[in-house]
Amino acid sequence: MRLIKSLQQILLILLVSLPVAVFAQAEIETLEISDEAEVDIRVFKADGDKLLLGFACDEGQSVAEEATAMSLAEDGVEVWMPDMLGGYMLPKTRSSIYSIPSEGLYSVIERAIETGKKVFLIASGPDTELVLRVANEWEAKHDGEAAGLAGVVLMFPRLNEGKPEPGKEPEYVEAVGKTKEVPLLLLEGERTPNRWGVKHLTTALAAGGSHVHAKLIPDVRGYFFKRQDANMPEEVVTTQLAGLIKASLFFLGRTD
Amino acid sequence: MKKLLILLLLVFTLPAMAGLKPYEGEGATPPLKLVDMQGNAHDLVEYKGKVVLVQFWATYCPPCREEMPSMNRLMEKMGDTPFVILAVNMGETMEEVEPFVKEVGPEFPILMDPDGESIGAWQVFAAPSNFVVGADGKIHYTLFGGVEWDDDEIVSKLKELSGS
Repeated sequence: MRLIKSLQQILLILLVSLPVAVFAQAEIETLEISDEAEVDIRVFKADGDKLLLGFACDEGQSVAEEATAMSLAEDGVEVWMPDMLGGYMLPKTRSSIYSIPSEGLYSVIERAIETGKKVFLIASGPDTELVLRVANEWEAKHDGEAAGLAGVVLMFPRLNEGKPEPGKEPEYVEAVGKTKEVPLLLLEGERTPNRWGVKHLTTALAAGGSHVHAKLIPDVRGYFFKRQDANMPEEVVTTQLAGLIKASLFFLGRTD
Repeated sequence: MKKLLILLLLVFTLPAMAGLKPYEGEGATPPLKLVDMQGNAHDLVEYKGKVVLVQFWATYCPPCREEMPSMNRLMEKMGDTPFVILAVNMGETMEEVEPFVKEVGPEFPILMDPDGESIGAWQVFAAPSNFVVGADGKIHYTLFGGVEWDDDEIVSKLKELSGS
């Protein structure tokens, strides 16, 4: 009898939560970015005035990003996740990021800005090259102005050109230090060797004129939200990723 | 068959040969004055006359963890050669470092640098970052990334540098 009652309760909870789950799912919007390419964008709609454009180029695997996007949307931040690799029929490998034409991203940003919301870009690891490159080109086409681009969040940026050499200052990819007006926020894990390069990278990123801020996330390693071997602090921060990003957008909003 | 063997030999020895890189930097060797896990003070200047491998490492760096046992074997292979290893931990606490050190049992001092002062002075931006300082107190080689330190090629280069 108790078992039936419990099952009834579970069924009731599932039925009640179903509409919420459906609401939190992304809608897919297709955007024609050239005569030959169309990009599917996962759109997590929200009523707020901020729109976060995230370039997770591992569609299908970005579980943490998707959960974070849902959480952000529920909190008023609209999130768009365009599948740029799919749009250009590029293999889902890390090196493909460098083959994504800036024009495609440019079209996605244009469409995002048409919504009238403040548009922020976000990327992690080597994907940060892509958002910096496109932010730079966006400014170049708007006489050096941010023109609606409210900021860029660089999570665990991997922007070195070649291997690091002990005793030598790092060299960065071309996109570093070109942005003039759009503010940048760099997030790095405290438990990663890259934290020791944050100051140097911050200076290099600011060379073009952008305000650059850097924050260390205590007790986590790089890519903590993608790790199979995540420890307790990393699991905790992963569950709070949406809050961390929302705080980043608030911080970037204060500097523009 | 002989050609294939030579090719295989080249493939397997290449990583080690590509390991130690002649140092191209300029200027004096940066200072290194730190305290080890047992509280003993170390100053690089006091090791003049010996070849010193200065390594910057951290427990959160997988290649650093992997290669440390091979550094023990390197110490053994260097025998009576005037050679020491100073492994500088990059900004971690004793609580974070101790469990790994107990597990590996390094036969060389682990220097603690909680504020990362030496990391800045030595221009270290990644881990593991290695510097080989000669008996003359100058940096001769650098190496980034994990390696098997007891590899014959490395041992021979270090012995050559020490004049043995």
